[in-house]
Amino acid sequence: MNTVFIANRGEIAARIARTCERLGIRAVVSTGDYLDTDAQVSQALAAGAQAVHPGYGFLSENAAFARAVMAAGLVWVGPPPEAMAAMARKDKAREIAVAAGVPVVPEYRWSSSERSERVETASFPVLVKAAAGGGGKGMRVVRSAAELDEAKAAAAREAASAFGDDTLLIEKYVERGRHIEVQVFGDTHGNVIHFGTRDCSAQRRHQKVVEEAPAPTLSDEQRALVQDSAVALAKQVGYTNAGTVEFLLDDDTGEAYFLEMNTRLQVEHPVTEEITGLDLVELQLRVAAGEPLGVDQEEVAFTGHAIEVRIYAEDPYAGFLPQAGTATLVAWPAGVRVDHALVSGQVVSTAFDPMLGKVVVHAEDRETARRALVEALDRTGILGITTNTGFLRQLVASEEFRDAAIDTAWLDRNPPQPPDPTEARELAARIWYDAHATTTGPFASDGFRLGGPAADPVVQLDVPVTLGRHALRSPGRPPRTTSRLTRAGIELAHHGQRWVFHRPDPFDRTHAAGAEGTVTSPMPGTVLDVRVAEGDAVEEGQVLGVVEAMKMELALKAPYAGTVTHVGVRAGQQVTLGAELFLVEAVEAATDE
Amino acid sequence: MTTLRPTLGELTEELRERLATVRRGGSESARRKHTDRGKLLPRERVDRLLDPGSPFLELSPLAAYGMYGRGPEDAYAVPSAGIITGIGLIEGRECVVVANDATVKGGTYYPITVKKHLRAQAVAAENALPCVYLVDSGGAFLPMQDEVFPDREHFGRIFFNQATMSARGIPQIAAVLGSCTAGGAYVPAMSDETVIVKDQGTIFLGGPPLVKAATGEVVSAEDLGGGLVHASKSGVVDHLADDDAHALDIVRSIVATTRDSRGHEAGFEGPAGGSQQFEEPVEDPEGLYDVPVDSRTPYDVRDVIRRIVDGSRLHEFKPLYGDTLVCGFAEIYGRRVGIVANNGILFSESALKGAHFVELCNQRGIPLVFLQNISGFMVGREYENRGIAKDGAKLVTAVSCSVVPKFTVVIGGSYGAGNYGMCGRAYDPRFLWMWPNAKISVMGGEQAASVLATVAGRPDDEGFKAPIREQYETQGNAYYATARLWDDGIIDPLDTRRVLGMALQATAHAPVPAPSYGVFRM
Repeated sequence: MNTVFIANRGEIAARIARTCERLGIRAVVSTGDYLDTDAQVSQALAAGAQAVHPGYGFLSENAAFARAVMAAGLVWVGPPPEAMAAMARKDKAREIAVAAGVPVVPEYRWSSSERSERVETASFPVLVKAAAGGGGKGMRVVRSAAELDEAKAAAAREAASAFGDDTLLIEKYVERGRHIEVQVFGDTHGNVIHFGTRDCSAQRRHQKVVEEAPAPTLSDEQRALVQDSAVALAKQVGYTNAGTVEFLLDDDTGEAYFLEMNTRLQVEHPVTEEITGLDLVELQLRVAAGEPLGVDQEEVAFTGHAIEVRIYAEDPYAGFLPQAGTATLVAWPAGVRVDHALVSGQVVSTAFDPMLGKVVVHAEDRETARRALVEALDRTGILGITTNTGFLRQLVASEEFRDAAIDTAWLDRNPPQPPDPTEARELAARIWYDAHATTTGPFASDGFRLGGPAADPVVQLDVPVTLGRHALRSPGRPPRTTSRLTRAGIELAHHGQRWVFHRPDPFDRTHAAGAEGTVTSPMPGTVLDVRVAEGDAVEEGQVLGVVEAMKMELALKAPYAGTVTHVGVRAGQQVTLGAELFLVEAVEAATDE
Repeated sequence: MTTLRPTLGELTEELRERLATVRRGGSESARRKHTDRGKLLPRERVDRLLDPGSPFLELSPLAAYGMYGRGPEDAYAVPSAGIITGIGLIEGRECVVVANDATVKGGTYYPITVKKHLRAQAVAAENALPCVYLVDSGGAFLPMQDEVFPDREHFGRIFFNQATMSARGIPQIAAVLGSCTAGGAYVPAMSDETVIVKDQGTIFLGGPPLVKAATGEVVSAEDLGGGLVHASKSGVVDHLADDDAHALDIVRSIVATTRDSRGHEAGFEGPAGGSQQFEEPVEDPEGLYDVPVDSRTPYDVRDVIRRIVDGSRLHEFKPLYGDTLVCGFAEIYGRRVGIVANNGILFSESALKGAHFVELCNQRGIPLVFLQNISGFMVGREYENRGIAKDGAKLVTAVSCSVVPKFTVVIGGSYGAGNYGMCGRAYDPRFLWMWPNAKISVMGGEQAASVLATVAGRPDDEGFKAPIREQYETQGNAYYATARLWDDGIIDPLDTRRVLGMALQATAHAPVPAPSYGVFRM
């Protein structure tokens, strides 16, 4: 194998290429059409590749693509397409798991025509839902046996009317669960081993944001259970290459249930690499080439603890809205592993997955790793676009994360709160002052006053910031942070959070707009059109009416956003110069950035 | 004398206390009334106007000290003469700021207020520095109109200066932050560009009461000459601001649009210009407090010089000749200066050496710093007969005709003709400061008492002499002098280097003509 085609992009393509380079293998990265099977195969063939690595996402779990790659005479760096197909179907995967003796979420069928005795003995809470349904129709959480009959009856009624089938599924409902997964690896020589556990419970709307290895809350029995189950499942399905078996761990009962198997390399594979010292991509290539894994289960040593955060171009304080723009300045932390493909000046679009990179730390224990990660995120600065870095920093620094108390629904129950700007603003003022201060000479910016205490410098940002004596004593020493000064103000990253502080523009339109929103006729003329009525809400610049004068049509615009409180004119009316036509009362514009 | 005199350090402590008192401005109730209207206090206005952290070289903060009160207990009746003036950086450019203090008698102009305003304008004119006027004043202090209004150096001169400075391209910018009544209305009207705060600033030649008296018209101040009226109707102002802070931001923006004279005019930025590379004095400046307060106690003035100049280095000129006057080249914040410092009474040789050195500095375009501690020229038959008067005259001629910027610091006594030869106020130094121990009068109190007693035929009458001595003691005091603007302020000796450095930088932009001299009497 001398050339590998990577049917992917971004940080994972860079990650795979890094290993290839180390192994002396040429890596060719796809140039687009990431979801077009034929195009990817053609590209791979054109590149003279012998193997195709799909990365994650895109076509990585597409069995048809795997088959197409193999049909083209190329090596598929991944599991057998049959295993992929089997695991892609929930019901099929569940069957295989049951066959392999892997615990699954208890689930019973019930309908008016057939009865199951075991329902009555189920442990509560349970979720009652329509077997035929979806979209939450007829779905109920039942917390005690006393409520069950009534819930079943109601759910069955709804199911019958919605789907024409009153069959219900009653399954174990996990109120507070942890997302535990096991990295497994198989080769074509019948070896299947695991590389330990990961905990990916910190999720927002099923999107993982922090992952760690090993899973911190498992007892020895739980750990053994999930690891053994994962290996058993992989063997059952004839698995080779890298895979991940996911479990839901019920925090209340301590029971673990199989969720699904991901038949690819995972985004969070670096934490496993960090604690095992193995290069999973290298193992993937080796196994794909038909070599044995070369490592026995007993030889896999776990060292310390690793944590990874995913940096996304999204605004955690605005419903995780994806962000696009130019990352004008990017500073990744030195001294820790960063898998990324984002550099200063790069344009980030919303066309692809908004993940910009991953910051991974590894230390002798979880707390040391956690602190190191907080520190690394403090040194991470991405300007130009909004990212979730500050939110991640806040999360990793929290007591809840420190105590490993975050379950999969925690972030949905505790939506991120925007941080207080005070500290960042002060830092911004300090940076601005340092950049503009005269450091030497008689006019040095030390606030000198004749025979009296020095004046504290006041830097105008969105509000005036008074800098204390410490700023005066050591001007010119830049604080260790990522920042960018513009004519309009300053942009900086503080504790990972990006902030933009604008210096006041004395000539912007929010200032003294003359007669308090009175819109007067700019010329003597005729009113052609009146487009608003009293009480209307208007935007800044919205046309309120049109006056015709001297063969010109003049649009009369709202000086600022507000409410029209007076309309003093009708269409067709003659008006004099300066006649007061409209009155707009401003609304305080909410400004948060 | 066995009286225990305060040390220079103690005198400086007293200076700081007095400065702290005047910096508070008007009475507490006046200040509260001012701030309750949403207005910034005048020193806050100055701080906000200047670049963050900019130093402010305030001029004559103790003006009017002890002048207008009902008695000695009322020395602070008109703190800082109700006006704050000085030099600071706006958008990186040295500017002269003139700010009325409305908490002091409504910001009205006492005679010394006018003098202080004119002095600030003179500084601006001499050094080609933009002027920013922060106007909040009721105009002339009417009870003293005879000392405020009619003369050449009275109120009208303010506007004359604005017009003539504007003609020279020195920006004149006004922000109307309060009243601007009667003659005061011309400050914005005569400015190049003006700002007014809406619902706060007013400009009118005659206020509502005067209008009613004159024509019977009843009109509110806002309708008569409020911000909106002037910004939208009269055109007296160019920018309407929301509040003080906004107005000051607009002023800063205006300053940024003016042409910076640096790089356009040949000032002192050349060979004698400042450098980022300079050394602080090697000798501890704290030693300046050891200078004896009694001017009769001799000390070596080089001990003062070395604590002021870069690296404590002095390239001394003619050290062995006329040694009661120390002359030499040194640098202050990297700017070369010629230093002329008294080290005893002036003899013919000292005067000749001084005249020679002043000519040298003019020839080389090097600013001059005079450190004054002089009881006068030597008297007596021998010296008069040898013509000390014509040698003194040579020094006075050289100093008078000097074209390079001159700076004078009175570090001890300033008496008689010594004051002339050492560039007293009459000799147009760009700036003149006093140390707290400084004394200034035509002669010492003792000598004056003796002379007058002799003339009166009562040479030994202590009762006759004592009040004369007392008068000289009072009038020769640095605070008496600074109250009347005989100087630009009393400074902490430790600030001498800093103040000279700022002044040197502020004066470096205006071009100087080629030197030429009057007839030297040989």
